[in-house]
Amino acid sequence: MTGLATLAYVLGHLGDTSFFVGGPTGTGPSHSAWSFIGGIFENSFGHLILILVVLVLFFHGVNGIRLVLAEFGLILRKPSAIEYPYKPRSLGLGQKAMIYAGIAIALAAAVWAFLVLFEGMG
Amino acid sequence: MKESRLMLIQYATAVAAVVLVAVHLIMQGVIYPYATAISFDNILSIYRNGFYAIFLEALLVVVLVHGFNGVRIILQEIRQSKPWTQLVDAGTVVAIIITVAYGTRTVILAVFGVVSPA
Repeated sequence: MTGLATLAYVLGHLGDTSFFVGGPTGTGPSHSAWSFIGGIFENSFGHLILILVVLVLFFHGVNGIRLVLAEFGLILRKPSAIEYPYKPRSLGLGQKAMIYAGIAIALAAAVWAFLVLFEGMG
Repeated sequence: MKESRLMLIQYATAVAAVVLVAVHLIMQGVIYPYATAISFDNILSIYRNGFYAIFLEALLVVVLVHGFNGVRIILQEIRQSKPWTQLVDAGTVVAIIITVAYGTRTVILAVFGVVSPA
């Protein structure tokens, strides 16, 4: 889900950045087209969307690193017999830590994005 | 291409995307204040710096290959048949080519195009 949301944003971003060169029919850098697209997206609603994108993107990134490490067996626990209460053995401390780290990093990044976009920090 | 190799591409582009997107975000809100970062003159100077133009093109290719290959993997998990696999694989290649071409057009016009007056 986070990957699909990020791809949807990337495609939109591909469209809006093309207005730097006048949009789909442009021929070069254009002040007026860039001001036009900025007038549509550079407002509180647009900034709120960007904060959500940062939230989703950072979680996707950390969770993706977890999946890569798990795929190569670096943070997988040793296989063992499945016993009651059937807790997933593969989710060892490393994987659980990375899931919680992903949530924490995503929230911190969203706060940082809020400060940059709404408070003018940077 | 073998599925194992496509997954390796997915992991390699994931790692590359983490680095490239991090640099991209740092340039938007740390090195420059956001308002400066999205100003016309600043963006033009970034595009016309050869290093950053190549950086943005690399970011474009890495993110789109990773994104569309990710969609391909999801679609292959939903359903498995030879026609479906071939359709999804072909659609992925077409989507990557079209979007990379459109983004590359932006980069080329931003680097070499004539700036229209304000």
